[in-house]
Amino acid sequence: MSNLAILPIIIPMLSGIIVAFTNKNVKRTRILTKLFVIISLIVTSYVTYVVFTEGSIILETGDWVAPYGIIMVADELSIILILTTNIIAATAAFYAPHSLSLKQENHYFYTFFFLLITGVSGAFLTGDLFNLFVFFEVLLMASYALIVLGGERVQLRESIKYVLINLFSSMLFVTAVALLYGVVGTVNMAQIAERVAEVDQKGILTTIGVLLFFVFGTKAALFPLYYWLPRPYIVPNPVVSALFGALLTKVGIYSILRVFTLIFTHRPDITHEAFIWIAGLSMLFGVIGALSTNNIKLIIAYNIIPAIGFIIMGIGIFNKDALSGSIYYFVHDMIIKSALFLLVGVISYVAGTSDLRKMKGLIHYYPVLGWLLFISAFVLAGIPPFSGFIGKLLLLKGALSNDEVAITIIALLSSLLILYSVMKIFIRGFWGEKDATFSLTKKPAQGQIIPIVCLLAVSVFLGIGAEYVYPAIDGIAEYLLDPEIYIDSVLKE
Amino acid sequence: MLTAVLIPLIFAFFVPFISKYKQKVHTGVFVLIIPLGIFLYFIQFIGKDFAPFIHEYSWIPSLGINFDFYLDGLSLLFVLLISGIGTLVVLYSIFYLDTSEKLSHFYVYLLMFMSAMLGVILSDNVFVLYTFWELTSISSFLLIGYWHHRERSRYGAQKSMLITIFGGLSMLGGLIFLSVITNTTSIRAMINSMDEILNSNYLPLIMVLILLGAFTKSAQFPFHIWLPDAMEAPTPVSAYLHSATMVKAGIYLVARFSPIFHAYEWFFITVSLIGIVTLVWASYMAVRQTDLKAILAFSTVSQLGMIMAMLGFGTEAAVFAAVFHILNHATFKGSLFMIAGIIDHETGTRDIRKLGGLLTFMPMSATLALFGTFSMAGVPLPFLNGFYSKELFFESTTHLNITSNTFAATFADIIPYLAVFGSIFTFVYSMYFFFGVFMGQKKLDLLPKKPHEAPLGMLLSPIVLVLGVIIIGLFPNIVNGTLLTHAAKSINGNVDYHAIQFWHGLKPAFLMSLAVVGIGTILFLTIKKWRKIYSVIPGKLSFNELYDKTIDITDRYAKRITNFYMTGSLKLYMSIILGAIIAFSFLIMVTTDGFSHITFNDLADVEWIDITVIIVMALAAICTIFVNNKLSLIIITGIVGFGISILFVIFRAPDLALTQLVVETVSMALFLLAYYHLPELRKRNETITTSASNAILSLGIGTIITMVGIAAHSSDWFETISDYFVETAYSLGGGHNIVNVILVDMRGLDTLFEITVLGIAALAIYALIKVRKNKEAE
Amino acid sequence: MEYIVLILSGILFATAIYNILQKQLLRIIIGTVLISHGAHLVILTMGKLKRGQPPILDESVTSYTDPLPQALILTSIVISFGITSLLLVLSYRTAKENNTDNMEEMRGESNE
Repeated sequence: MSNLAILPIIIPMLSGIIVAFTNKNVKRTRILTKLFVIISLIVTSYVTYVVFTEGSIILETGDWVAPYGIIMVADELSIILILTTNIIAATAAFYAPHSLSLKQENHYFYTFFFLLITGVSGAFLTGDLFNLFVFFEVLLMASYALIVLGGERVQLRESIKYVLINLFSSMLFVTAVALLYGVVGTVNMAQIAERVAEVDQKGILTTIGVLLFFVFGTKAALFPLYYWLPRPYIVPNPVVSALFGALLTKVGIYSILRVFTLIFTHRPDITHEAFIWIAGLSMLFGVIGALSTNNIKLIIAYNIIPAIGFIIMGIGIFNKDALSGSIYYFVHDMIIKSALFLLVGVISYVAGTSDLRKMKGLIHYYPVLGWLLFISAFVLAGIPPFSGFIGKLLLLKGALSNDEVAITIIALLSSLLILYSVMKIFIRGFWGEKDATFSLTKKPAQGQIIPIVCLLAVSVFLGIGAEYVYPAIDGIAEYLLDPEIYIDSVLKE
Repeated sequence: MLTAVLIPLIFAFFVPFISKYKQKVHTGVFVLIIPLGIFLYFIQFIGKDFAPFIHEYSWIPSLGINFDFYLDGLSLLFVLLISGIGTLVVLYSIFYLDTSEKLSHFYVYLLMFMSAMLGVILSDNVFVLYTFWELTSISSFLLIGYWHHRERSRYGAQKSMLITIFGGLSMLGGLIFLSVITNTTSIRAMINSMDEILNSNYLPLIMVLILLGAFTKSAQFPFHIWLPDAMEAPTPVSAYLHSATMVKAGIYLVARFSPIFHAYEWFFITVSLIGIVTLVWASYMAVRQTDLKAILAFSTVSQLGMIMAMLGFGTEAAVFAAVFHILNHATFKGSLFMIAGIIDHETGTRDIRKLGGLLTFMPMSATLALFGTFSMAGVPLPFLNGFYSKELFFESTTHLNITSNTFAATFADIIPYLAVFGSIFTFVYSMYFFFGVFMGQKKLDLLPKKPHEAPLGMLLSPIVLVLGVIIIGLFPNIVNGTLLTHAAKSINGNVDYHAIQFWHGLKPAFLMSLAVVGIGTILFLTIKKWRKIYSVIPGKLSFNELYDKTIDITDRYAKRITNFYMTGSLKLYMSIILGAIIAFSFLIMVTTDGFSHITFNDLADVEWIDITVIIVMALAAICTIFVNNKLSLIIITGIVGFGISILFVIFRAPDLALTQLVVETVSMALFLLAYYHLPELRKRNETITTSASNAILSLGIGTIITMVGIAAHSSDWFETISDYFVETAYSLGGGHNIVNVILVDMRGLDTLFEITVLGIAALAIYALIKVRKNKEAE
Repeated sequence: MEYIVLILSGILFATAIYNILQKQLLRIIIGTVLISHGAHLVILTMGKLKRGQPPILDESVTSYTDPLPQALILTSIVISFGITSLLLVLSYRTAKENNTDNMEEMRGESNE
C-alpha cells in the first residue's frame, strides 16, 4: 500500500524514458504523452483520495527504516501540490503540440517535460534533505534542457545566466545540508526536526536555516534574490514558461514552507518576522516590475514575484488562518500562472508581437482570448468569487489577528497594482479600434484554448466551490502547525 | 431572495442567444421582464407594518461566507430603486440604443450589474457584500468602456476601475478587520458587538478603510474625479449606475455601518466634512461645465455629498432627510439624465454652448426638464419633492448637538453656512441647465442634426420619473410611513414617524431656502460676469491632473526603478544575491550567538603531507584569479581537482578518490576540448572599486562557510546516524564496502536520480549539438 | 586538521566567487568547478576526518570513518560533473551564437 507514494515519481519518469525512444515518430510521441499524463493524473487523484481518507502514506524505500533510508512522505500537503502539478502537466501536454515547433518536439521536449514533472513530484514527496537536493537537480537539469530548446540566441544568453545562478544556489544547498549534518548528524527531515527541537534551535542552527532559506529563496525568486527570474522565463516557448512559472518557483517556496514549519520553527522572532518583511518587499518590487514593462510576457513573469510574496507572508505570520491562506494561494497561483503564461503565449502568437504598444483592438478578432484574459486578471488579483480571493482573505485574516497591519495594507495595494498591470493588456491590447492593417492569418487552435479554459475552470471552482476544498486546506494548516505529527508518522515513535 | 438576486445574472447567460433576433425584436424587450419582476416582488413588502426578515443560504459555511440576505427598511428602499429605475432604464434603452450596437454585451453587463447591486444591498455577510461590491465595479468598468474604440471611454473606464477597486480593496481590509475583532461575518452580529469594535485600538484605521470604500464608490471629494469621466458610458448607464444606484452604494455602506460608528465622534467629523466639502466643491464646479452630462455628473457628486453629510450628522432628522433625498434624487436626476440623453440623441450634441431655445422643438422634454431641474434646485413649490428633502437637510444642519469635542462643535457651527453656499450653486447650475438648453437664442446652425421631439417611447421613462417627482411632492406621506421611516429606522433606531409638511412655519430652514433662491437667482442672472473666477479657483489645480500624474509617475518610476537593477548583468544579479546572503548570515550569526561555542578538542592530527597538499591547493585556487592564459587556467584548476583526490585518500575515502580522479580526468579532457572553441583570456580591466567589491563578496562567502563550518563541527549534541550503516552494511545490505551499500541500497533513490540527472544532461547536450548541426545545414 | 580543511574550503569558495563575478565565460565556469570542490570538502569535514579506517568492512577493524558523507559526496560529484559538462557545451554554443564570451555584453535589451 505504501508503495503508492512513489507512483507520482515513477510514472512520469518511465514515461519520459519511453517517449525518448519514440522520438523519431512525433505523432506517436504526442499520443503517448497525452496518454501518460492522463494516467498520471488518474493515479495521483487516486493517491490523493487515499491520503485524504486514510492519512499520510510513508514509504521507506528499500525497506530501510527511518531515519536511515530515504523516506517518501505523501502527506496531504505534498499530495495536493502533486495533484495540482499533474493538472498543469496535463493541460501543458495538450497545449504543447500546437505551440512547439516540430524541431523542438524532436529534440526530446516530451522527455524533458516528464523528467521535470518527476523532479517536481520528487521534491514535493521526499522526506530526506539530501534527496531533496537530488530532486532539485533533476528538475533543474530538465529545466536547463527545456530553456535552451530551440537554441535561439536570446535563449542561450538568458539560459546561461539561469544555469549559473541555479548552480551557485545548488552548491550552497549541498554545503548547507552538510553543515546541518555536521550539527545534528542526520539528513532525515523528521529526525532533523526532532533534534533541532531538542537543542532549542541554537544559534548555529538558525544560521544554517538562514543559508537554506537563501537557497530556497533564490529558487523561489524572493526579494532580494529574484533578479534572475523574469527574463529567462519569457524566452522559451509558452508551454515551458507556463511550466516554469507554475512549478519551478513553487518548489522553492514549498521547501521553505516545509523546512520552516517542520524544522526551524523555534526562533520565529528572527526567521518568520523577517519573512514578513521579505514578503512585503517582494510584493512591492514585483508589481513595480510588472508595471514597468510593455512586454506582455514579462508582465506575467514579474507577477510571479508578488504571488510568492503572498505565500511567504502566510509562512511568516505563522498562524492557522495565514498558513491555510498560503496553501490556498499556493495552489491557486500554480493554476492561474500556468493559465496566464499559456494565454499570453497565444496572444503574442496571434498578435505577432509581445509588445503591448503594437497591439490594439484585438477583441474584434479574438473575443474569446480577450474574455479569458479579462477573467484571468481578476482571478490573479484575488477578486471574488475566484480562487485568489479565498487565499487572500485567509492570509489577511491571519495577518490582522496577529496585528500585522503594514503587510495587510501592502498586500491590498499590490492586489490593486497586479490587477492594473494585467488589465493594461486588456484595455490597451484588446480594446480600441479595429486595426485595419491587421492580418488575420493566425488563428489560435482549439487545442490551445481548451487547456486554458480548463485551468480557469479549476480556478473558478477553487473559488466558488471553496466549501469543498477549504476544510482540507484548513486541516493541512493545522497539521503544519504541529510538527510532532509529521515526526511521529515518519519515525513511528 | 436568492432567486431575485441571481436571476439577472442567470438571465445574462441567455442574452447572447436572444440577441441573435435583435433585428426583429429589440433585445431590451426581453430584458425588461427581469427588473420589472423583481420590482413587483419587492413592492409587496411596502407597508406600515413591514418587519425586517432574513433568508439564509449557505455557500462556504466553513469560512463563514454565506448568502444571508437581509431585508430591512434600508435595503427595501434600495432594492426598489434598483429594480424600479432599472425597469425604466431598460425601457429607455430600447429606444436609445440602435439595433446595430452590440446589444448583447450591453444587456449582459447591465444584468450583471443588477445582480451585483442587489447583492450588495441585501447581503448581511460582509464578504458576500464585498464580492458583489467588486462585481458592481467590474460591470461599471465594462459599461463605461462599452464604446471602447473611443480613447475617452478607455480612459474613463480605467480610471473608474482603479479608483473604485482601490476603495473596494481598502474596504475589504476594513471588513476583515471587523470580522477578526468581532469573530463574525454578519453585519447584524457586528452591530450587536459594537463595543468590541469601539474599544479596539485600530478603530480609526478600520473606519478610514471602510470609509475609503464608501467615498470612492460614491465619488466623494477628492475621489469624485472618476464620475465625470464615467459619463462616456451610454446615457442609460449614466442614469442608472452613475446617478441612481451604484454611486449610492457608498452611501448605503455608510448608512449600514453607522449604527456601529456613530458613537465615535471622528465618524461625525470625517463623514460630515467630506460630505459638505463634496457638496460645495462639486456644485461650484458644475457651473463651470459645458457638457450636459458633465453638469449632471458634478451635480450627482454634490448631491451625494449632501446625503453623505446627513449620514454623518446621524441625528434622527438628518437620517430621515438622507433616505428621503436618496429617493428624490433618484427620481429627478434619473429623469434629467434621460432628458440629456434625448437631447444628445435628437440634436447630436451635448455641448450647452451649442444648444439653446429648444423649447419650441421639444416642448415635452422641456416640460419634463423643468420639473426635474426645479426639484433639484429645491425651489419651494408643493409639487416638487426636491424641496422637501432639501428643507429637511437645512433643518438638520441647524440641530446638531455636539458638545464633546471643541473642534467638532466649531465645525458643527459653520455647517449651515456651507450647506447654504453649496445649495446656492445647486440652484445656479439647475437654472443654467434648464435655461441654457431650452430658453434663449436658437443656434440651429451649430447643431449637427435638426432637432425634433423624441419618440413617445423614449419619453415614457422620464415621464414616469417626473410623475414620481410630482406625486411625492404633493403627497409625501404616502412613502413616508410605509417606506422611509422603516429605512431611517434601520440606520438610527430612534427615528419615529413624523408627517412631512410643506409649510412648517418661519423656521431657519425656510429662511435658508429663501436665501438660496434669492442669491441663486442673482448669481444666475449675472453668471457671465463672475464666471472668470474659475480660472482662479481651481485654475490649473485639479485632482484630475493629480490622478494623471500619479498614473504617469507610477509608470515612469516603475520603469526607472526596474531598469535600474534589472540590467541583465549576471555580475550584478550575483552581487546582489551574495551581498544579501553575507549580510543576513552575519547578522543572524551575531544576533543568535552562533559562533561562541568553538572548541579545539575533538580534532584530527595534522601531518606535514596534509599541509603541503592543502597549501598547494590553496595557492592554485588563488592563482586562478590572476592567470591570463586559458591553458594555464585549465591546468591550475586541474591541480585543485587532483589535490582533492589526494585529500580523499588522506581522509580515508578511497571510493571518492577514485571517482574524483576519473571525473577530474574526463573534465580536463572536456575543458581542453572547449579550450579550442573559447576565446583567449583577456586581462581583467577592472576598476579598483569593482575589484574591491568582488573581493569583499568573495571573502564574505568564504568566511561564512569557514565560520559556520567550524561552529557546526564544534557542536557535539548528537551522534550521527552512520553507526547504523556500519552495523547493517553486511547483515542487511550484503556488502563490505559500506559506501557502496549506502549508495545502491540505503540511499538507492539518490543514485537512481543522480543517474537521471546525468542522462538528462547527456540528452540536453546531444540536443544542443544537433540544433547546431541543423542550423548549419540550413 | 578539520579547521584547516574548512579554511581551505573557504578559500575555494572565495576564489570561486571571485571567478564567477568575472566577465569571461571560461573564468566563470572555472569558478563553478572550484565551488563544487569547496562544497565537497565541507561535506567530508562534517563527518569528521581521519577517525578510523576506510569504510570497508573488515574483521580486524573496529572503527571506521563516517561513510554517509562519502556517499553524499559521490552523488554530488556525479551531479556536478553533469552540470559542468552541460555548462561547457552551453557556453560554447552561447559564445558562438552571441559572438562574444563576455557576459557583460550579453545583458539583452533594456527592460521594455
